[in-house]
Amino acid sequence: MSYKLHAVLAALAAGLLFANPMVLAQEATPGAAPVAAPPPPVVPVFTVDKTSLANGGVVTVTGQAAPGKPVYIEVFNENPVTGSFFDSRPNKETGKTPYKLYMASEIPAFYRIHVPRETQPILDDFKKEGRPWSYSSALSNTGGEVVYREPGKHPITAYQASLQAGIVGSRGEVLPTLDDKERVRRSMQIMKARFRTVDKLFAANVDVKEDGSFSAQIKIPEGSAPGKYFISAATSKKAVSETVVVENKISFPIRYMKNAGTSLNIFVPFLIVLALATFGVLMGAGGGFIINPIMLMMFPIPHNVVAGTVTPTVLFSQASGVVNYSKIKFISWKVGITLGIAMLAGGFIGPVLTTMITADQYKFVFGWILFILAALMFWQTTPGYMAKNKKEQAILKEFQKRAEEAAAAKAAKA
Amino acid sequence: MYMHIQFWGNEFKINVIVGCIGAFLIAVVSSMMGFGGGPFMVPLMAVVLGLPMYVVVGSSLLAIFFNTLMSTTRHYGFGNFDLDLFLVMFPAALLAGWIAPKIAKRVSPLVVKRVAVVGLSLLGLSLLGVF
Repeated sequence: MSYKLHAVLAALAAGLLFANPMVLAQEATPGAAPVAAPPPPVVPVFTVDKTSLANGGVVTVTGQAAPGKPVYIEVFNENPVTGSFFDSRPNKETGKTPYKLYMASEIPAFYRIHVPRETQPILDDFKKEGRPWSYSSALSNTGGEVVYREPGKHPITAYQASLQAGIVGSRGEVLPTLDDKERVRRSMQIMKARFRTVDKLFAANVDVKEDGSFSAQIKIPEGSAPGKYFISAATSKKAVSETVVVENKISFPIRYMKNAGTSLNIFVPFLIVLALATFGVLMGAGGGFIINPIMLMMFPIPHNVVAGTVTPTVLFSQASGVVNYSKIKFISWKVGITLGIAMLAGGFIGPVLTTMITADQYKFVFGWILFILAALMFWQTTPGYMAKNKKEQAILKEFQKRAEEAAAAKAAKA
Repeated sequence: MYMHIQFWGNEFKINVIVGCIGAFLIAVVSSMMGFGGGPFMVPLMAVVLGLPMYVVVGSSLLAIFFNTLMSTTRHYGFGNFDLDLFLVMFPAALLAGWIAPKIAKRVSPLVVKRVAVVGLSLLGLSLLGVF
């Protein structure tokens, strides 16, 4: 924890040095005073205008770096989240597809590199590439890689996926620990898979003047993770400033969702789920079909967390349904268990695949599933089906009545 | 391979191989995407296996319950579960289960299904990036 103390001291020192930019400017003006201006520091120093935020906000950074050098600022949050990247692109030289899964459990919940304003056109080019933009190329083209430090520090586990492993529901064989260079490279792919867009990972707004003084606005968006944000500036890999800490505070009804890595006003997802689940029950399809994609579209929650959290919400309603039907002996245990065992096997494998697909692939598959569901629903509104269904429902009601009566009679006897 | 089922005095014969393969595939996809799978299991059992609705309603729910139970455990093990988000969504889902049957009497199921067809298609298009 001593580096935090250092950061505070550095912030104080920087504050004293540059408390008055005017004085600094006068000193730096050549010929204004016979005394030579003090040599600018090699390592950037900077101050922040505030050290505390309430559910996001803007922190203005002002500082001084060696003149003539671009300044890069790294901002990250203390909360860890998980990220994964599945490498299924064929190797350009060998033509072999690696099928390797890289998983990191300690990447920061918020991460952004601020690059000089002049690099905006470079970022715009990457934005034009759309979904497959390369984070590592963007980092090297803008020069931002000099401050890319935090995500590459944490361990990454690599798995060799295979069809056999997939069938038994495993992620695959664990590969040897990655070396430092490989870990940094893979961490970039994981970061891109988690944060997805250029705008989330970059901001081109560092203004650097000729004398080496710089400033930038660091925007922590609403709904970002709470806790400490660590800010550091660098002009090269060796010239990195001390870290300055800014604290983001959130309070009820906003709550941080640890695995989702985002803060939400709890009433918003509550009302959305209430509305969607009600509609889902009315159309007889359960809520998951609409809740999942809408949660994914509205909130910055990773698709695996959406899938893994929506699934258990229906578990209890299904259990109570099974209990109610079994009370009136309205379940064919033979069919239910036979098909249930097949589904048990399927349910064992499916969640492994959730982490192996990207959010875009998830959306793509979901899009087609919704079309199939829409077609099923449409078929259920056709006159032929309606007529058949009316008969079926009448028989269903009749049998259900008989079952209920039988159960009631049995209860009366006992 | 056929299986004989007795249900409330009637006997039915189903193709187990087809049923199990279908159920398995539905389970893989639904647990991967994170939904129940009921709307696909019901047509599988009713149309493909040819079971009448009164056998399907309860039995399909039992089969899906196996899937949901397993995929919940697996998602939890893989760290895909967020407790806070769950604690927000779960009461909402319970409340929806209580409200929906009360509204159901007042709305025509045909209208609900038609709205669903349009809504699901639009949502599907947007997920595919058409707009």
